[in-house]
Amino acid sequence: MEFKDYYQTLGVARDATADEIKKAYRKLARKYHPDVSKEADAEAHMKEVNEANAVLSDPEKRAAYDQLGRGYRPGQEFRPPPDWDAGFEFSGRGASPGETADFSDFFAEVFGRMGGARGFAPGQRASFQARGDDHHAKVLLDIEDAFSGATRQISLRAPRTDAQGRVTLETRTLNVRIPQGVHAGQIIRLAGQGTPGFGGAPAGDLMLEVQFRPHSRFRANGRDLHLTLPVAPWEAALGAVVEVELPQGGVKVRIPEGTQSGRQMRVRGKGIPGTSPGDLLLDIQVVLPPAVTARARELYETMARELAFDPRPQRRE
Amino acid sequence: MRDEDILTGSPIEDSWLTLEQLAAACTVEPVWLRRHLDEGLIPRAESVAGVWCFASTSIVRARRMRQLERDFDAVPELAALVADLLEELDELRGRVGRVDPN
Repeated sequence: MEFKDYYQTLGVARDATADEIKKAYRKLARKYHPDVSKEADAEAHMKEVNEANAVLSDPEKRAAYDQLGRGYRPGQEFRPPPDWDAGFEFSGRGASPGETADFSDFFAEVFGRMGGARGFAPGQRASFQARGDDHHAKVLLDIEDAFSGATRQISLRAPRTDAQGRVTLETRTLNVRIPQGVHAGQIIRLAGQGTPGFGGAPAGDLMLEVQFRPHSRFRANGRDLHLTLPVAPWEAALGAVVEVELPQGGVKVRIPEGTQSGRQMRVRGKGIPGTSPGDLLLDIQVVLPPAVTARARELYETMARELAFDPRPQRRE
Repeated sequence: MRDEDILTGSPIEDSWLTLEQLAAACTVEPVWLRRHLDEGLIPRAESVAGVWCFASTSIVRARRMRQLERDFDAVPELAALVADLLEELDELRGRVGRVDPN
């Protein structure tokens, strides 16, 4: 396990004041905010910044870290001496246990032992009861999975408390069935699959946020399914019934006579299924046959001559 | 894989939860959540007989607002305004993605 230099992560001096640490953290929190940052690996950077802030903004953790890290360089192999944290008392402020589950092994090794992820002061444990924390994760699905449901194997790192009240991070693997009808951004709840509770209290829940992989044909908006539908000029001009392939079989769609490229057609209830199923939204794209043979050229020339069609009509004075 | 080894999840929109469970899902404190619900800063939340049902977007919104308040000492109304803008950004990004998936 490598030593982490939290001062370097926040870009502050070792004797930085609490205000300087707060200012540096805010600057980086803005820079790496996952919703707006254009930096590469913004999310990973933000986790590091949050971890550093959770330690340096908490006077108790900072004091312990300073004592423990004396003489270590960033990246140096690190092993905390046994019982190094005796004499410290920690209130666990700075980050929620749910957040600390995302922190590094270094953090778990050092601060998981001392209350960062809900440890106990001596004598506190016997009467303490608390529901376990919820665990949050993302699950990546194909759009087709929303039509049929899917089973996914998910590995989670979650804090576990041993009989002595010490907290370590443990990896566990779950097989999870995602129901039919989910959409991107939706949260799927698995009751009781979060962190175990304390003192007989119930476990927390596992919350999975659904995300879809990019698809070559479909785009989803909630339960609505968008699809570009290429049609031939005669289908668009004369009207036609065309078959559209969907994840659970095809549907026949009537293209009205005179349909222009760019028009959107809505087929109600044929999007992602659910209690209120989404719609299928077809973006019509008229595709021209190439004029690569003499006959094809002749047909285009006939149209040009006989249709007297001006695609760019302008008002004339 | 045996069927009994598979856990089945349910959409959060189908789950009726206590305020404490909901607060845990949002990674916020129950008091914080109650105050923000009372002030109408978290829409798409329904309550019947002491239990609540949230839209997935409301869970994300609560988490975002709590982080903004904590990280930048934002007042709740400012955090709600930023959350509104981020939701608008999500919507516009989704629209761009549907036009140009690459």
